[in-house]
Amino acid sequence: MSALRLRGVGKDFGTVAALRGLDLDIVDGELLAVLGPSGSGKSTLLRVIAGLDPVSGGSVHIGDREVTRLPPGRRNVSMVFQTYALFPHLTVLENVSFGLEVRDVPRGAAREKATAAAGLVGCGHLLGRRPAQLSGGERQRVALARAIVREPDVFLLDEPLSNLDAELRVQMRAELAGLHRSVRTTMVYVTHDQTEALVLGDRIAVLRAGSLEQVGTPDELWSAPANRFVARFVGTPAMNLLPADGPLRLDGLPAGRPLEIGVRPDALRISVEPTGAVPGQVTLVERVGADAHVHIRLDRHDLIARVPADDRPQVGERVTVDVRRQDVHLFDAATGRRLPWR
Amino acid sequence: MEVREGRQLTLMLAPYVLGLVALILVPAVVTVALSVTEYDLIQPARWVGLANFRALAGDEIFRIALLNSVVFALVAAPLRLLAALALTLLLHRRVRGVGSARAAAVLPTVVPDVAYGLLWLWLFNPLYGPVNLLLRLGGEGGLTVFGRTPPQWLTSPYDARAAIVLMSLFTIGEGFVLLLVTRLGLPGELYELAAMEDATGWDVFRRITLPLMAPVAVLLLLRDTILSLQLNFVPALIVTDGGPPPYATTYLPLFVYRTGFEYLRYGYAAAATLLMLALTAGLLLAQWVVLRRWRRGLGG
Repeated sequence: MSALRLRGVGKDFGTVAALRGLDLDIVDGELLAVLGPSGSGKSTLLRVIAGLDPVSGGSVHIGDREVTRLPPGRRNVSMVFQTYALFPHLTVLENVSFGLEVRDVPRGAAREKATAAAGLVGCGHLLGRRPAQLSGGERQRVALARAIVREPDVFLLDEPLSNLDAELRVQMRAELAGLHRSVRTTMVYVTHDQTEALVLGDRIAVLRAGSLEQVGTPDELWSAPANRFVARFVGTPAMNLLPADGPLRLDGLPAGRPLEIGVRPDALRISVEPTGAVPGQVTLVERVGADAHVHIRLDRHDLIARVPADDRPQVGERVTVDVRRQDVHLFDAATGRRLPWR
Repeated sequence: MEVREGRQLTLMLAPYVLGLVALILVPAVVTVALSVTEYDLIQPARWVGLANFRALAGDEIFRIALLNSVVFALVAAPLRLLAALALTLLLHRRVRGVGSARAAAVLPTVVPDVAYGLLWLWLFNPLYGPVNLLLRLGGEGGLTVFGRTPPQWLTSPYDARAAIVLMSLFTIGEGFVLLLVTRLGLPGELYELAAMEDATGWDVFRRITLPLMAPVAVLLLLRDTILSLQLNFVPALIVTDGGPPPYATTYLPLFVYRTGFEYLRYGYAAAATLLMLALTAGLLLAQWVVLRRWRRGLGG
């Protein structure tokens, strides 16, 4: 177990900057979820920590060691690849003990540890099988067992659940959380799935175009997104954004610059009764299980509200829209930055 | 619908089937038929039964040719595979100039056999041939640096056999391409994972690359063994002329050629051809048995 520290880490591929001067501190035993859209540099960040790609600038520290120039095998990190990267010609037991055996751990001891690790992640009954005989979820477990068997300082996971079906994904997510609680190894978990990040991460780092947009706890990201990008990226449906001088007017806003207000879909309150609030028209209603997503056209702006499915209005109906003052987020329209308010 | 598809299929297969019949099947039947006759293109064929085979069993030249062929196949096929594998491991990375290097590795294979043979005749020349000039570098009085006489490629029996093997080691383009494609198809993540586990180059080769390439390499070895029994025909004819005397590099194909087309003993040559076919099948079977056992062992 060790803390992980990145200082000014940059990575260029030719003229393209994949990572731009990242500073990041991950405390000992923490699970940091790295969240971002495709091409934001998430996997590159993981590969730079692992040493698979050399940095173009900056430094990487694990515990009190600087590992920036060390080859991957000397960093004592392990990684679970998106495709699992299991050796097809080796059995589960041989796959899990591979890392120990090439490090000259005697075969008997290596296999004993591998068996224990496999048992810990629930694939102890598969030891004699080969990867081709395993389901997606089983392969995932084997990859996890192989990663933990060496007791690495840092544990890197690259979208490990993305190849599983929805039900298995939820199950494995819970098991991963349990595994982290039991081994307490520092983990960096890359995902583009915000639910995974919100559920698993002690903290979440939001990455866009190679830069960190925000690093914070799931609560902080939800209640105080640092900017417009984070506000829109975290939450489904995305947060509604409107100019402050648009249809939803609020008193007491700071003056002197153009502002945007943000309201999460579940904070929008709609009503078919005529009230003092702003009127709009329902253009689309999507039922999603117990909820309904109501698309509303409001004075040239499109908003989405989330309401209980039983209370949903009909398409074409006129509704009024209201929001509580404490549910409003405020952003600088020019920079996109969050402004203190309330 | 099905009838039309059937007709299309027949039409499309027809050229291949015609070629197969005309170039393989008919000659094969003729060979079998000839093997039990005596025939010299002038007199009508005369039935002799198994006399040709009995004569072959007692023919010392045939026995030498058979032994030469078996030794050549057993030495050349594994060496050719090793050479192709070594080139693959050397040239699979994307580095500057690797394209030209790969092309150079394939090039000797596409040179016409006769031109390739004539080239080696020059390379092996004992007086001015570059091979021995190179071997004599640093030595005195026409000896190598170790004070030995350089190989007499064209006049000493053992050196001449080595020369034919050496020539075969450069025409490995097809095997090289096949192995290269196989190596490039192996997932990069397996190698990244091995790097993260601090596996040495030898470990990576032994535990990952070799087992994953083995199925293709085994196939290649079987195919190359068949090829090895035939590909020394032109070199033996042009470079060593079946010698040094009496028969150091007379292999089965050359024996069959001389018997048939120079001595006009077609029946006898046909019988030798059939024995060569049996030998090929026997070698393949032996390899298959050994390799199956080895792969079972590899699978644990």
